[in-house]
Amino acid sequence: MPDAVHRLSLLESIIGAVNLGAIVLDETGRIVLWNHWMARHSAWSADAVLGRDFFEVFPELQHKRIASAIRQALRDNFQSLLSQTLHKAPFALYTHGAAAIGNEAQERMQQAIAVTPINLPGSPRHCLIQINDVTIAVGREKLLREQTMVLRSQTFSDGLTGIANRRHFDVAIEREMRRAMRNSSPLSLLMIDIDHFKDYNDHYGHQQGDGCLIQVAAELAAMLQRPTDLLARYGGEEFAAILPDTDAAQALQMAEAIRQRAAELRIPHEKTGNDLKHITVSIGVATQHTQHPHQPLDIAALIGAADRALYLAKRSGRNRVTVQTT
Amino acid sequence: MVNLSELENDALVEIFNIGVGHAAAAMSEIVNEEVIMSVPSITFLNRADAAALLGSKKDGERICGVSQHYDGAFATEAILMFPEDKSLEIVRLMVGDSVPLQELTEMEQEAMSEIGNIILNSCVGTLANLFDSELHGSLPLYHVGTSAQIMSSFSGPDDAVVLMLHIDFVLAKHQIHGYVAFVLDLSALHDLKEQVSRYLAKALGQA
Amino acid sequence: MDHSKQVLVVDDSRVSRLMAHQFILSKHADWQVTEAATGEEALEKVKALNPFLILLDVNMPGIGGVATAEQLRALYPHTHIFLVTANVQNAIRNRASELKVGFMEKPITETRIHQLIDSLEA
Repeated sequence: MPDAVHRLSLLESIIGAVNLGAIVLDETGRIVLWNHWMARHSAWSADAVLGRDFFEVFPELQHKRIASAIRQALRDNFQSLLSQTLHKAPFALYTHGAAAIGNEAQERMQQAIAVTPINLPGSPRHCLIQINDVTIAVGREKLLREQTMVLRSQTFSDGLTGIANRRHFDVAIEREMRRAMRNSSPLSLLMIDIDHFKDYNDHYGHQQGDGCLIQVAAELAAMLQRPTDLLARYGGEEFAAILPDTDAAQALQMAEAIRQRAAELRIPHEKTGNDLKHITVSIGVATQHTQHPHQPLDIAALIGAADRALYLAKRSGRNRVTVQTT
Repeated sequence: MVNLSELENDALVEIFNIGVGHAAAAMSEIVNEEVIMSVPSITFLNRADAAALLGSKKDGERICGVSQHYDGAFATEAILMFPEDKSLEIVRLMVGDSVPLQELTEMEQEAMSEIGNIILNSCVGTLANLFDSELHGSLPLYHVGTSAQIMSSFSGPDDAVVLMLHIDFVLAKHQIHGYVAFVLDLSALHDLKEQVSRYLAKALGQA
Repeated sequence: MDHSKQVLVVDDSRVSRLMAHQFILSKHADWQVTEAATGEEALEKVKALNPFLILLDVNMPGIGGVATAEQLRALYPHTHIFLVTANVQNAIRNRASELKVGFMEKPITETRIHQLIDSLEA
């Protein structure tokens, strides 16, 4: 009958034209359909695989997920999904197909696979394996993720210690100062400097110097518990802690706790030039508490005060906390 | 609501343990690490209580769900659910990635869908095999939302019963608790109960 | 003539125990089968037995099947000990091999139990 024949030709043409791989297995697991897409993107033509047992053609897939998916389709009538993230490329398929097979450098295409039972009345169950080339989509997502990571780490993190960098500090201090003025709340700034750090680097080497910075940064960061507190790497061995809603007394308390904690780390330092043979920090504290909003922000004044306090701490023997008013 | 005898309950729990055990073996093969799954208990609930059970501590806490529809000998909607942060954990462990984004990316959603596909097919497959039943399963669908949203997205009579499995999932020292919910209308529930009885009678024979 | 042998079946699922029990008796009606629901109970009950075969479910509350197998292997170097699990993967295979115990896959069927017993008597 011409209609049935016409319909069959139409369906065959469609299977040949679709932009995905279609493999059909019969109830014994033999390949009974291998569409044009499969032939184009692999080393096998339909003639080479038709009638053969699937696992004889692909012995490496025998104990893999696709084997249980095929079993579940034929035996249990269940559909299965093989995502590209958990199984990148089960089949040896190449985006640029047979022409590039000889070219060793070409990577397999990334595949998303669905395994579906096919029930035909009057016939045993068959199994359809559909394969989609998702290389481009995967590549795009990978690129986006990488860019996110790079952006994120570049913009606000210090590469060595992972805490906020100077750029982040600059943005944060302005934000917090503005907020403090708006709310008439006190804002404190701690400038923390590792004592005799140049001597540490000279004696133990820069690699160990880096290690010391990382360790101290981590300890300090752990002490700043509130979400609005920020610890940043301000300079080589200098850290700054922004403490919003913190008055002078509280800031002094926090600074002293930090000084003590740094000393308690007992990081050995032979070249302190004094009896304390371990790492210590000097801290300068400054607090701003304007009672008059709408004044222009004077970031420099706050930082300047904290800096002066730090300088004084160094001058008077180090390993101490000094306060300076703005 | 549902009266299964103690032995029937035991049989059902054991069957699901076998199902998730097979799923764990499959997942272990994928990640090349030890994966352990078990079903410590099951409960029968109505839909409202099921949503409440998943709802829990924080308001608006989001759940990631993977659902599949089965029909044939009986019809059910099966849903695997983990809290969103745990889903992130599972997928990242399985995929081996650690990009700390707050949500699953599209590719990761696919991976989560596959994980659901493996677990649900394994549970239902074991059930179907032991009960000698003929079923047909759909491809997995990914959902994210509050428990109430997810549970309500499944059609079915209001008096549908939810068979809830508590799932313990262990991978690389991470222990994660989740759920598999089977939404069953009364006739499916009746079929299930009958199948369990029949299975017990056959398996234990004249013992 | 077969001398009656003693078997200990350990599984927290009563249905599992009953099935294993039944399948063993269907092969050797004269064998004595004792059941335990946990590893701890197994370690208690085994004292009164001279077991030929011990079947241990891996996934049990309490000390679990693997730890129990380890202790039993130390107490009974010549008894046939098998871990029973639906989760057959490399980790458990390696562990079983280390402990010098076998393993059997779940679901427990009459065929599997009979095959296991046959393999011991070979």
